[in-house]
Amino acid sequence: MTHASASPGLPTSPPQNGPPIVSIRDLQKVFPVPGGQTVALQDANLSIQRGEFISLIGPSGCGKTTLLRLMADLEQPTAGELLIAGRTADQARRERQYGYVFQAPALMEWRTVLKNVLLPLDVMNVPGDRLGRAREMLKLVGLEKFERNYPWQLSGGMQQRVSIARALAFDPPLLFMDEPFGALDEITREHLNLELLRLWRETGKTVIFVTHSIPEAVFLSTRVVVMTARPGRIEGIVEIDLPHPRSDDTREDPRFFTHATEIRELLKKGHA
Amino acid sequence: MLEPGPAVTATRPPWLAWLAGLGPMLIVALIAAALYWSLMLAANLGPAARTLASGAELDCRTALACASQLRNPVVPAPAQLAQGFARLSTPVTSPLALPYNVGVTAGETVLGLVLATVTGLGLALLLVASRSFERATLPWLVASQTVPVVAIAPMLAVLLGQYGVQGFLPKAIIAAYIAFFPIAIGMSRGLRSADPLHLDLMRTYHASGAQTFGLLRFPVSLPYLFTALKVSVTAALVGSIVAEISTISFSGLGKMLAENSRASDTVALWVIMGYGALLGVTLVALVNALERWVTPWSRR
Repeated sequence: MTHASASPGLPTSPPQNGPPIVSIRDLQKVFPVPGGQTVALQDANLSIQRGEFISLIGPSGCGKTTLLRLMADLEQPTAGELLIAGRTADQARRERQYGYVFQAPALMEWRTVLKNVLLPLDVMNVPGDRLGRAREMLKLVGLEKFERNYPWQLSGGMQQRVSIARALAFDPPLLFMDEPFGALDEITREHLNLELLRLWRETGKTVIFVTHSIPEAVFLSTRVVVMTARPGRIEGIVEIDLPHPRSDDTREDPRFFTHATEIRELLKKGHA
Repeated sequence: MLEPGPAVTATRPPWLAWLAGLGPMLIVALIAAALYWSLMLAANLGPAARTLASGAELDCRTALACASQLRNPVVPAPAQLAQGFARLSTPVTSPLALPYNVGVTAGETVLGLVLATVTGLGLALLLVASRSFERATLPWLVASQTVPVVAIAPMLAVLLGQYGVQGFLPKAIIAAYIAFFPIAIGMSRGLRSADPLHLDLMRTYHASGAQTFGLLRFPVSLPYLFTALKVSVTAALVGSIVAEISTISFSGLGKMLAENSRASDTVALWVIMGYGALLGVTLVALVNALERWVTPWSRR
C-alpha cells in the first residue's frame, strides 16, 4: 500500500483520463415494503473518473444515500451493473478501495481520538508504522493536539474531522461521504468545506459526496449529480467550471450562481 | 484553523470531592439515628413495663429507663449495640469473632461472583450466537431463578458433598447459582447493542467476525456487564449467607446468624447484620472502582 504524498504544491487535481474508477449502468434498487415495493433508485447511469469530486444532490428519498451505499457494498442492487475500479462492489470492499464517512461521526467512544484513527489500520493489519500514519492523518485534519482525548470531549465538527482522518488512514483511492457536514452549523460547515477541498487536492482522492445543500455541492464539486425522488433517479449532471484552488472568493464568482440556478432548475423539474 | 477545545472544568482536590460526595449519605444517617432512638423506645416500652411488673431484679425503676437496658431487646439501644460490636469484633483474629467470619463470607461471595461471571459470560455468548439455543434454554434459566435458595442450598451441599466438595466451595457455588443470571441477561443484551453505523463501518473495513466482536461488540457491552455485576454481587452476598445458614457451616456470617438466632441474642444479630451491610456496600464500591478502571472513557 502506497501513501499519497501530501505535497502542498500539487496542481488543481483535474480529473484524469483513463478507465473510470466508478462505472454505473442501469442500476436499480427496490426495497420491499408492506403491501408493495419502493423504487429507491431507477436506471442510474454514471461514470466517474479518477481524481473527480462528485456531489450527489437531491431531496430526501431521491436515492442519493442508497446509491452511495450500493457503491460501498452496504446494499445489494436489484438490477444493473456497478464497477468500482474495474471490480464488483463486493471485491472493491474486500480490497479496501474506499473509505466511508457517515453522516454521524460514528467514532467509538471507548477509543481515544488517536485510537479511532488507528482502528482501520489495526483491523486491516496494515504493515509499517501504524501509529505514525495515524498521527500523520490527525495532523492533516489539524487535530494532532487532541490525540489523547475521548470523542465526547470534542465538538461535532472536530469529531467529523477525526472521522475523515480515519477514512483516509489506510489510503484508499476513493472517499465516500454521506452528508458528513449535514448536522453542523453553517460556519463550521463552510470552514470544513475549505478543509475538505485542501485534503482532496493534497491526497488526490476521488471523492463522492452526498449533500442536500446546493451551495455546498457547487463549491466542492467538479461535477454535481442532481437526483429527484419517487422514484429515485438521476435528473441531470452539472459540470462545475469554477477554477481551483477554490476559496471564499469562489462563492462570489458569477458562475457560482449560474451553476446553483442550473441545479435548482433541475431539482424543480423533478418536482413537476 | 482549530475550533475551540473542550472547556477546562475547575477541579476540586479528590479528597474534598470524596468528602463532599459523602455529605448526603451522612445526612440520611443522621435522620436515621434520630428516628432510631424513638423507634427503639417505642418498641421496648411494652416489654420493659412487663419485665418491671414481673418483679425481676433490675437496675432501673421506670419503664422508660428500662427500655434501653433490656436483655434481649427487639431493637437494641445504641450503647448495647456498641457493647455488642466490641464483644463480637474481638479478638480480631479469632475464628469466633466477626472479622474472620466476614472474611470467610466475603471470600465465598467473591469466588461465587467470579464463577457467576464466567458462567454468565459463556451463556450470554451462546444466547447471542444462536436463537435456537436461546429458545431452548432461556425458560429453564428463568425457572432456575424461581427456586428459593433455601430450598436448593441443602440439596446442592449434599450432592457436592458426595464428590468430596465441602466447606468453602459449596457456598461459593450456591452464590454463583443466583448471581450468574443478571450477568447472562445483561451481557446478552449488551452484546446485541452495537450501533448499526459501527457495524456498517466494520463491514467497510472487511473486518472478520472475531474482529467485530473484540473491537466493537465486547467494548459496547462493558457498561451492561458492570450494571449486571452490581446486581450480581449483592445477590451473591445474600446467596452465600443463605447457603451458610442452610448447610453445615463452621464459619461465616450465616453460621453466626444461625447460632445467635438460636440463642435469641438479638444484639448480636443486629451487629452481624451491620457487618453484612458494610460488606455489601464495600463489594459494590469495589465493582464501581473496577468499572472506572476498565472503562476510563465514560463520563462521570
